[in-house]
Amino acid sequence: MNRLSGRAVAWVGLVVVILVVGLGGPNAAAHGTTAAVYALAALSINIILGYTGQLSLGHQGLVGTGALFAAYVTTAHGLPFQIALAIGGLTGGLAAVLVGFVALRISGLYLALITLVFGLTLEQSLFELTTFTGGGAGEAANRPSFLLPNDRYYYLCLVVVVVVCYLDSRLTRSKAGRAFKAIKEDERVAAAMGINVVGYKLLAFTLSGVVAGVAGALFAFATQQFVGSDFDFRLALVFVVMTVVGGAGSRAGVVAGAVLFAILHDFIAAFGPFKSFAGLFPTQTGANLLQFGPDLIGALLLLLTLAFNPGGLAQQMAPLVRWMTGGPFREPRRRPPAVVVEALEAAGIETDEPAGAET
Amino acid sequence: MLEVRDLSIRFGGLQALSEVNLDVGEWEIVGLIGPNGAGKTTAFNCITGVYRPDRGRVVFKGQDVTRLPPHRRAALGFGRTFQNVGMVKTATALDNLLTAQHLKADYSALSGVFGTGTALSEERELVRRADAILELLDLREVRDLPISGLPYGLLKLLELGCALATDPELLFLDEPSSGMGPEEARELGKRLSVVRQEFGLTMLLIEHHVPLVTSLCDYVYVLNFGQVLVEGEPEFVRTHPQVVEAYLGTAS
Repeated sequence: MNRLSGRAVAWVGLVVVILVVGLGGPNAAAHGTTAAVYALAALSINIILGYTGQLSLGHQGLVGTGALFAAYVTTAHGLPFQIALAIGGLTGGLAAVLVGFVALRISGLYLALITLVFGLTLEQSLFELTTFTGGGAGEAANRPSFLLPNDRYYYLCLVVVVVVCYLDSRLTRSKAGRAFKAIKEDERVAAAMGINVVGYKLLAFTLSGVVAGVAGALFAFATQQFVGSDFDFRLALVFVVMTVVGGAGSRAGVVAGAVLFAILHDFIAAFGPFKSFAGLFPTQTGANLLQFGPDLIGALLLLLTLAFNPGGLAQQMAPLVRWMTGGPFREPRRRPPAVVVEALEAAGIETDEPAGAET
Repeated sequence: MLEVRDLSIRFGGLQALSEVNLDVGEWEIVGLIGPNGAGKTTAFNCITGVYRPDRGRVVFKGQDVTRLPPHRRAALGFGRTFQNVGMVKTATALDNLLTAQHLKADYSALSGVFGTGTALSEERELVRRADAILELLDLREVRDLPISGLPYGLLKLLELGCALATDPELLFLDEPSSGMGPEEARELGKRLSVVRQEFGLTMLLIEHHVPLVTSLCDYVYVLNFGQVLVEGEPEFVRTHPQVVEAYLGTAS
């Protein structure tokens, strides 16, 4: 089998696996939908954390805002699904602009703190307003009839993920993507190159907010209701952790991280070995373990990633991703070009492959 | 072209610059020299907008730019290099040259995200210009290499390329020859003359390599303890007793 057809088989296999999830019954499709929403959240975080190097601990606020307004305009104003989805994205972006205006003159730890406070504030205020949320039971967000079956809704979410991935890939190959990267590495250098550092950070936040809002809207329609308490701080942490474990900065990596955490979230409590592990502890502790299992394992994975695998899953996936996008599986060992060898020799540094090596 | 008047800045108890006056005329290459810690890079940072001076003015082509942020000054025609190589270290040489052409990329950020025709054709134009700069500096071979693995001398050269890619009128070079041997420094001097012709540039450079300064510069300012100690033609400055004293210390 030659390389091209091997690659085609791999692609077909990947697509089939993803599509088959939708055929596995309503429950499987619902799990798939969760994974797709997580993937969008991770792509959202990736724009600011992976590309621009800013940390947000308040992303549950942006996702929640999108979910809230999508549900609200659907139920209170009877707007169609497509419009509600767009409004979810817009309001998520708007909320990001608001926090961005306050937060973007600072960075690092202080930015993380401000976004954290922002998320918590939204959680306690906007998400609890009965005008929007229809009281404690939450605001309904009914899907239109053509999207009512879980499998169809799952496929719709997949389409959104693919579209966002495509736009994201365009972003990284445009001047905005390069500006983000320059800002991440050195704001002074970026500014000297004519990049408006504050403006582009705000843009990164806004784009991230739009994606987060769309993720929120899809989440609301997945559960067919908005409940404010779904968007708590724990969720913000999960978003950041899955992005880092997946490999911040890599599109394929963060999507893989998101899928991993979605699986963890949905299945770990039912996973046999983990259940028996929890059974070793006293009843209450065991129950806690099962409840907080995903967080616990997430934290563990985060530690392992930071200590041993700073590139995240993306680091392991790199050869595969390279191969599937048309490159060789192994990184080719390139001979350093003559100009590099010369410069190194002038500096008295021996190169790996001395000229005239035996053939 | 550039007038700096009474530039002063204080960091805590240290008066890093006090009442520095500099003039750079169009087409000139002006050197800024002085012992370590004299305030040369601080002066660069104040002039290019990284620091906001406590007092003084920076006037570029008749316009007071003292309060403008660095990216606005870049848009007016400031280009600069950094002492420790100011580039995106995880990117390739080509990507760095594209990043540096940020202001030349004539499309909106959103049309870039949606990949409109304008954005794509502009991108092709940027790549073409980047290739031209690589050609000019004999750096074609490193085009697609990540810059993190390149030797220091090549990095400095590539950084010069990035500064040129911003299409400046006034170029600030912070120790362009650092990390180079005498032979390479001589090469660099020739290159800078070529580049000046090609791009119609005015330059202000911080430099330690004396032969480079004397061969290249039209005028030299010597900074010591944050003040202009001596200024004049390179030959005059080089032999000036106060300058010699500042560098070598006084014989007691």
